[in-house]
Amino acid sequence: MKRFKFCLVFLAVTLTFAACTKVIDLKLGNDSGKLVIEGNITNLDSPQYIKLSRNVPFTSTNTYPPVSGATVTVSDNKNNIYTFTEGPAGTYSSAQFPGVSGNTYQMTVVTGGTTYKANSVMPALVPFDSITYKKADFKSGNNRREITVHYQDQAGIPNQYRFIMWVNSVEVSAVFAYDDEFSDGRYVDQDLVENTTDIYPGDTVKVEMQCIDKPVYTYWFTLMEQGFGGPDGGVAPSNPPTNITPAVLGYFSAHTTQAKTIIVQ
Amino acid sequence: MRFVLVCLSLLFFAGSLLAQKKIIISGTIEDKATGEKLIGATIKIKELTKSGTTTNNYGFYSLAVPAGNFTLVYSYVGYNTVETPISAAADQVIDIRLDQQKELSEIVIRSNKPNNDNVASPQMGEERLNMAQVNNVPVLLGEKDILKTITLLPGIESAGEGNTGYYVRGGASDQNLILLDEATVYNASHFFGFFSTFNSDAIKDVSIYKGGMPAEYGGRLSSVLDVKMLDGNNKDYTVEGGLGLISSRLKVEGPIVKDKGSFMLSARRTYIDVFLHASSDSTLKGSSLYFYDINAKANYHFDDKNALYVSGYFGKDVLELKSIFGTLWGNSTGTIRFNHIFNNRLFSNTSLVYSNYNYTIEDFQSTNYFKATSQINDVNFKEDLQYSLSNTHTLKFGLNVLHHTIAPGTITTNSTSSFNDVSVEERYGYENAAYLSDEWRLNSRITFLYGFRLSSLFLLGPGTFKTYDAAGNVLSSATYSSGALVKDYFNLEPRFTASYLFSDESSVKASYNRNTQNIHLLNNSTSSSPADLYVMSSNNIKPEIADQVSTGYFRNFSENTYEFSAEVYYKWLQNQIDYKDGAQLIVNPDVESLLTYGSGRAYGVELFLKKKYGKFNGWIGYTLSRTELKFAAINDGNYFPATQDRTNDLSVVGIYQLNERWSFSSDFIYATGNAVTFPTGKYEIGGLTTFSYSERNGYRMPSSNRLDIGATLEGKKHKKYHSSWTFGIYNVYAHRDPYLITFRDSKTVPNTTEAVETSIFATRIPSVTWNFKF
Repeated sequence: MKRFKFCLVFLAVTLTFAACTKVIDLKLGNDSGKLVIEGNITNLDSPQYIKLSRNVPFTSTNTYPPVSGATVTVSDNKNNIYTFTEGPAGTYSSAQFPGVSGNTYQMTVVTGGTTYKANSVMPALVPFDSITYKKADFKSGNNRREITVHYQDQAGIPNQYRFIMWVNSVEVSAVFAYDDEFSDGRYVDQDLVENTTDIYPGDTVKVEMQCIDKPVYTYWFTLMEQGFGGPDGGVAPSNPPTNITPAVLGYFSAHTTQAKTIIVQ
Repeated sequence: MRFVLVCLSLLFFAGSLLAQKKIIISGTIEDKATGEKLIGATIKIKELTKSGTTTNNYGFYSLAVPAGNFTLVYSYVGYNTVETPISAAADQVIDIRLDQQKELSEIVIRSNKPNNDNVASPQMGEERLNMAQVNNVPVLLGEKDILKTITLLPGIESAGEGNTGYYVRGGASDQNLILLDEATVYNASHFFGFFSTFNSDAIKDVSIYKGGMPAEYGGRLSSVLDVKMLDGNNKDYTVEGGLGLISSRLKVEGPIVKDKGSFMLSARRTYIDVFLHASSDSTLKGSSLYFYDINAKANYHFDDKNALYVSGYFGKDVLELKSIFGTLWGNSTGTIRFNHIFNNRLFSNTSLVYSNYNYTIEDFQSTNYFKATSQINDVNFKEDLQYSLSNTHTLKFGLNVLHHTIAPGTITTNSTSSFNDVSVEERYGYENAAYLSDEWRLNSRITFLYGFRLSSLFLLGPGTFKTYDAAGNVLSSATYSSGALVKDYFNLEPRFTASYLFSDESSVKASYNRNTQNIHLLNNSTSSSPADLYVMSSNNIKPEIADQVSTGYFRNFSENTYEFSAEVYYKWLQNQIDYKDGAQLIVNPDVESLLTYGSGRAYGVELFLKKKYGKFNGWIGYTLSRTELKFAAINDGNYFPATQDRTNDLSVVGIYQLNERWSFSSDFIYATGNAVTFPTGKYEIGGLTTFSYSERNGYRMPSSNRLDIGATLEGKKHKKYHSSWTFGIYNVYAHRDPYLITFRDSKTVPNTTEAVETSIFATRIPSVTWNFKF
């Protein structure tokens, strides 16, 4: 489905007779100072991190003020409580512990007199089988490559996945979120289709695979869809639905993580 | 039952108004050269100002007159007026053949007194396109197109550059009913909307109603575009066609039995592929991208009272990226109509109509192989009657039984694919309606056009039907057997228009009408996507309702050579539909759980100045409007501008006939940009810049403006054949109209973000077409 949309937009915009792009100046609003929470609990036996920051206006530089002095804890349904301590500013970390599949984790953040809470269930780990590369669908004439990830979806239960890709250690600016609505129980070959970074032979590509729960998937899927909005009829972009209450920007995700690296030829 | 009683009592009421014995003059009006029936031609009695009528969709008219001697005046735009003296003693049939004006010379124009229909008719909110003008307005790549031409009229906005989608008085694009010989055309676009499904060669008449909706139309909130195909020349065989940059056309027409029956066959095929084959990209090089369409029609007149019309349309778009993916989509329609004239007062048309829209998306790569299909299928029975009760009352009434079959989606795959087979249950339902309207000429100044339409929807089993709460959770689920009633809705839609004539050259009109809509389009991807999903009103989706009031002032100048109108409207919208975040609509059995409902309001002023006649003709249309929507779940429950909210919209069209061989045309448009949602802030998530948003549609795309010019050179006159050249330049001053604005990390200044504008027609686009006829 993703590919279909991508192809249509690609064709509509780049095949038309005189398409061209330019950077423009726009007068945009001054939305700033809103709390952003990004919380992750992984299955790795390591410190876990929760980051608090604030948003800045579109026209500012990409530096985001950290939110210090918050009280951050995570508990699970097995009565474990993990306290997070700050350092560096705005980054809160726990002692080393692994998240366990099937556990429900609850994040509690107290800052500015408000208590923010979110729950996330760590899904079962679906093994990351492999990554491969192939000639890209478009612009393949100049050796452009496309990355495909492979895994065996678990039959009978809903699974959601998120992938993160780095090309030569630089994170690709695209969201990859998939579920098994159409591929339950299948051996899945998923192309990571994106148009921000070109991959060529010689590049080192690392991909992280996360198994995420449904609300976190909705968060990422919404962000991903917004990457392809058109001027008319496209989805009006909005802040993706957060699983944190009261609502803030960001999410809290308990997920499994695996990574694989490949050198593209 | 109640409806029948109301009809009958209205008939009797109106019948009692018959004061004296009337004589009925009836007949048909057709083109002298081709035998094409003329729709909307005017019949007037010179001596009686309050008498008059127009021909219906089949060229038929019926007019009651008192006994005496009169002069009947028959007129039609672009044709020479005919005056016929009659001595009315008994009912009579008068068939008239009008001559098309060959030259637009000043002498002819004066002898052909332009009529004042726009002022005198009680109908408001209607625009009729003159096909001769459509053919002269310059367009992209020389593909003359009625959908693009209508957007040059006030109150009708283009959905975007190079897009045949349109918005009428603030309505969404799926709130327009598009009819081709009475059959619904669900997706009227080809090639991502750059071209429409209507091949101008095959079209006789185009009317669009944006307000004051006649009772015989219903089913959509905003507008009705009623397109009628040519019947075919019943005098002589002709072949005509054209060779253009991206498409070629051919039309054949002629008599089946001279003066009794004729046929018309018209086809068009594009070859946009050549642009792809010129590409250096190997994937694009081996790809297909084209569309074709075929219009066919035949008619046979058994005698003066019985005629049969059969017509059909078939169109297909093909887009295939070599060994990657392909998609096909298209409409097909078929209409069988039987006209019967019971007597010179009662005209009947019975129609059986078929309509289908379907699409297929296929991924050819073995590991991702899937084929998704979806379609909507309609069978429609219509009975329309027209009764000339007296010279002051003309009744129209009828019934409509429309059966929908919707196959929302099926995915088929193979064993190596990453996907499973999935199928979403088909949905069945009836949309039935009955209507009655009366055009009542109270006196020479006041005319009422009033009536109602009773519309209904019956959603039927078999299938499992769920109800959802606001959050999209299943509240209940029930399984129904085949034909079992799941949900029904009834709506009474009053339609009322009144006009007051100050003089032959000026009038005021006012109207109120309600429209409802029971079939809804769900498509949240870019408008270029053919993946249209239709759903009927259901347990979750209520019928959309629009109430519109409008009033207008109509004024003609210089013996009706110039027409001016100013209309004001206000619309209230209920049960409007939007999508929740992250809604995945394709092949989704729970698609109704992803919807959210709200209301809306739209209001505006439309100014229109038109010169219909003369060597120089054209129009200026201007619209000032506002459209706002309100959803509890969006924008904190506050009103926000709809995407199609367009403050200013200006179109200027000019056509100049220099001499017998050369004519020139030009159009200029200016429009406020669509309302869009832009980021107001940014933050970092997962190490990536992410944008934050405040209000929905709080920003505007930059305004757009463009000038196009065209010229037509008629070939030297030959006995046997005729040819012409059409030249055009689209976007003469190479204005960059923004198509898309995206936001990203700056590629030049590290650690900042930038807005990027994409334009698709940022340059002059010339075109040339050679047309022939023999």
